[in-house]
Amino acid sequence: MPVTDPTNRADLGTIQSKLVNTSIDTPETRSVFPGKWFNHWVQCCNRLSSAGYGFNVLSAYIHFAPKIAQIIDPQVALDLANSVSKIAVKTGRIEAESLPYASYVAANLLKDQNSFKAWIRIIERFISIAPESTFTLLDKMESLLSSLSVSRLESWILAGIRSSGGNPDQRLKFFSLETPESNRWLLFESGTVNFTSMAPRLRTLIRAIWNIGPPLRELPFSGTNTKNIKLRSSFGRGIIRLPTSFSGFEHEQAEDLYRACITHIGAHFQFSGPSFPVKGLKPVQIAVISILEDARVENLAMRKFPGLRNLWLPFHVAHIPNSMSSNQALMAPNLLNKLALALIDPEFNEINAWVKKAKTKFFNSEKEWEKQEISRELGGILGNDLGQMRLGGQFDMKSYIVEPPYRDDNWGLWDFGEEEKQTDILEDEQMFDSIRIEQQLDDNSDQPDQERKETDQDEELSEKPVQLEIQQSEGIPIARYPEFDYLTGRERPDWTTIIDYRPPIGSIKKVERAIEQYAEVLKRITSLIRAARVSRPNRSNRLQEGEYLDIDACIDAKINQRMHLTPDPRVYGKWIRKDRDLSVLVLLDISESTRDKVFNSKESVLDLEVHATALLAQAMSQLGDPYAIAAFCSNKRDDVRYFRIKDFNEPFDQKTFSYLGGLEGGFSTRIGAAIRHAGSQLKEQQTYRKLLLVVTDGEPSDIDATDPRYLLEDARRSVKSLSNEGINVFCVGLETKGSSYLGKIFGRRNSIVIDRIESLPQKLPLLYLRMTA
Amino acid sequence: MLKGPTGCGKTRFIEHMAYTLNKPLITVSCHEDMTATDLVGRYLLDADGTLWHDGPLTLAVRHGGICYLDEIVEARQDTTVIIHSLTDDRRVLTLEKKNEVVKAHPDFQIVISYNPGYQSVLKDLKESTKQRFAALDFSYPDSKTEVEIVTHEAKVNEATASILIAIAERSRNLKGHGLAEGASTRMLIHAGKLIVRGISLPEACNIALIVPITDDLELRDSLKTAIAACV
Repeated sequence: MPVTDPTNRADLGTIQSKLVNTSIDTPETRSVFPGKWFNHWVQCCNRLSSAGYGFNVLSAYIHFAPKIAQIIDPQVALDLANSVSKIAVKTGRIEAESLPYASYVAANLLKDQNSFKAWIRIIERFISIAPESTFTLLDKMESLLSSLSVSRLESWILAGIRSSGGNPDQRLKFFSLETPESNRWLLFESGTVNFTSMAPRLRTLIRAIWNIGPPLRELPFSGTNTKNIKLRSSFGRGIIRLPTSFSGFEHEQAEDLYRACITHIGAHFQFSGPSFPVKGLKPVQIAVISILEDARVENLAMRKFPGLRNLWLPFHVAHIPNSMSSNQALMAPNLLNKLALALIDPEFNEINAWVKKAKTKFFNSEKEWEKQEISRELGGILGNDLGQMRLGGQFDMKSYIVEPPYRDDNWGLWDFGEEEKQTDILEDEQMFDSIRIEQQLDDNSDQPDQERKETDQDEELSEKPVQLEIQQSEGIPIARYPEFDYLTGRERPDWTTIIDYRPPIGSIKKVERAIEQYAEVLKRITSLIRAARVSRPNRSNRLQEGEYLDIDACIDAKINQRMHLTPDPRVYGKWIRKDRDLSVLVLLDISESTRDKVFNSKESVLDLEVHATALLAQAMSQLGDPYAIAAFCSNKRDDVRYFRIKDFNEPFDQKTFSYLGGLEGGFSTRIGAAIRHAGSQLKEQQTYRKLLLVVTDGEPSDIDATDPRYLLEDARRSVKSLSNEGINVFCVGLETKGSSYLGKIFGRRNSIVIDRIESLPQKLPLLYLRMTA
Repeated sequence: MLKGPTGCGKTRFIEHMAYTLNKPLITVSCHEDMTATDLVGRYLLDADGTLWHDGPLTLAVRHGGICYLDEIVEARQDTTVIIHSLTDDRRVLTLEKKNEVVKAHPDFQIVISYNPGYQSVLKDLKESTKQRFAALDFSYPDSKTEVEIVTHEAKVNEATASILIAIAERSRNLKGHGLAEGASTRMLIHAGKLIVRGISLPEACNIALIVPITDDLELRDSLKTAIAACV
């Protein structure tokens, strides 16, 4: 009887149930589910069986649950039945079928009841968020859990969910490990030494040793399976590119490899001059010349820093592996490896005549090492020799990988002529961008200001609106910030990108009118701010009353008393704040929601924001307080738009008026990233107190963040981290339906809500009171 | 006026000057709470009545000597103005309380030190104070001289001193890139002294050069690697 015959379902059922029954009750199951557990076990199986998820789901469970019970605990194995049911209902049978095996894998790797339960919880939550990717995720569980702990797995999963912003197709790609992103985050979460973790240290290292600060970049992540590809660092046009990680190296060794790598490239920057023209050279000659050049710069570097030898040498492994035949040992790449070692380690004795010759020649010309041509000259000859040994022919430039791993791919040494340049144009542009970013990040110079000023001049010359619009749409990425994920309790580095846009030009009348119209309010605000004393407390002596005795005044008083003169009763002193030493950055939220009308008012939120800011700014510039104005909105995490309307050192003039007047609402409110960036600008101010004044209508949001609590928690975190650094973050909220969020982000005492401009003077004292407290 | 980063030898220079000129040296470390009275002197009370007590500045003015006001920007501006009458052609100090004008002794000299690195706009000298001084710009000596200094002061051999100076250059490269100031000559001498007492060079550098100047773990790591490269 064919069991596949659909008409014989009943028979099929009996056969299957027989199969099932025989595997439920076996000596094995009885031993892993002892006593009362066995009954529970049978019940669980029956429940799954009667639920009708199909034979495969049931048999997978029956097969793996006892194993899990054995590794972890019988209860956990029985609970798994519930999870299987849930997954079968919510997603499908295939997923349900794969859960028991994945659980078995997880149990094997985790071996601990609590972690296993945590794992199951993560999976159950995942099912409801990303059903389409469940099978893929479970399928990859073995490799995932072998490099990630449960909490790291959770962060990685969340990174996937967050970065795909609710798009199932993208999610699936992420969890299939098909995107560079997912691989990057996997590396990050697995805690292996990688570019992100090393970059800050490498920057200071190359600065300390060679006193240069070239931009460091991650090599573009190409392909999906990078585990077995040997990546080499690269440099060119002043940029250093390093691999995301070096496969096969871990912990200290990997850190040292990065260090060896950056110091080696630093030596090139120091000692390698103009690039060699490729013209007329055979590939093998290029390789040999490169090795000689590497050796030359390393030897020069070791003259100055002898300790670098200890950093570089361990990575040279030129000894012939035992399995290799002597024929193979003579292959060009092996000879090249030996050459590389022989040229930097005088103690390395090599029997091969060619390597010996190279070594003797190289060290004999020690006096000429300063000259770069020596590499070209010697390398040319040696490469030719290699060719005559009939080894050159076997040499395949495409499959040749520079060894040892800390050395760069040597492309930076060569000039390939015109051909290569054309193919590189696109990449060049990207590089140009990254140079600009780097300048702004690294140098803290006034670069962006200069850039801005030039364009300003253009605009004065020709006020064609069309031109301006083009400029306006071009933003320059200037910084990256982490974002806090409350579910993992950790910050995800470099998650958001701040892009600096030129603010659009608008009419100056809007601002002028506001200042005229609210002259009375402005007066009150000015006197309020003037009265605020925000500074380091100073001693004030000779007072009628105070906190301590002013010893000089006391002595004077006593002397007067003895001289029978009237003593001066002002013998006290106290600490008081005399003036205002405060810089303020006003950060305006110009997201789409600011187009809404303010509660009980005809004005839009943005109008009210602009008016309030204009008045505050006018007051502060009358008093001479340093302050800046910026606005932000966001379009997903890689485009947080930041408009610098007024910098600290700029006057509050027509230009600022027109920028303020030109603001228009649009896009979303990724407020945490904007707060972090504004904070980093405030940090550079040298005043006693620093205040970030956020003017917003409330709820943080962005189209790629589906979880409403996520950006809220991130904003809260950013406020907290700024106050840890001594920057007060205060919020002026505009009354709309979102204003209830303000207290949650900024703290109830650090936010005020206004519904019209007139109420600003009433609420502002609270702010300054908080500053002086 | 002596300008220059900390630990480059400003105070030592003044000590040497006093020694060479054979003059007494009176050093005042300035601080925020210092008043003019603390410099000039005050009446004190005892059982018999009041007693005037010359302050360090008055002592130097009266009897001749070098008065060295260390880190003068730390003092408040209204305190520092009392040196104004001493530092122009008048060369007198007015003791208002005592109703006395002290004419400066011919041997009286005044020196202030001023570290331009870390004061903010608020903590700066008044223009009128600045313009009364001749200024000497100090910085770390060239490496040959610095080797000599470290060899002499810490009693290390020249090879060790050269390594220490190479290390110092590494940290000075990081000025403005994470460090407010690189390792000073003073720190090198400290490290050298530790080495003489039997502590290994990397460890001595860690104790005397790295840990004091930064709390940033990544920066410490880079400096450690840089030190290893120099050895």
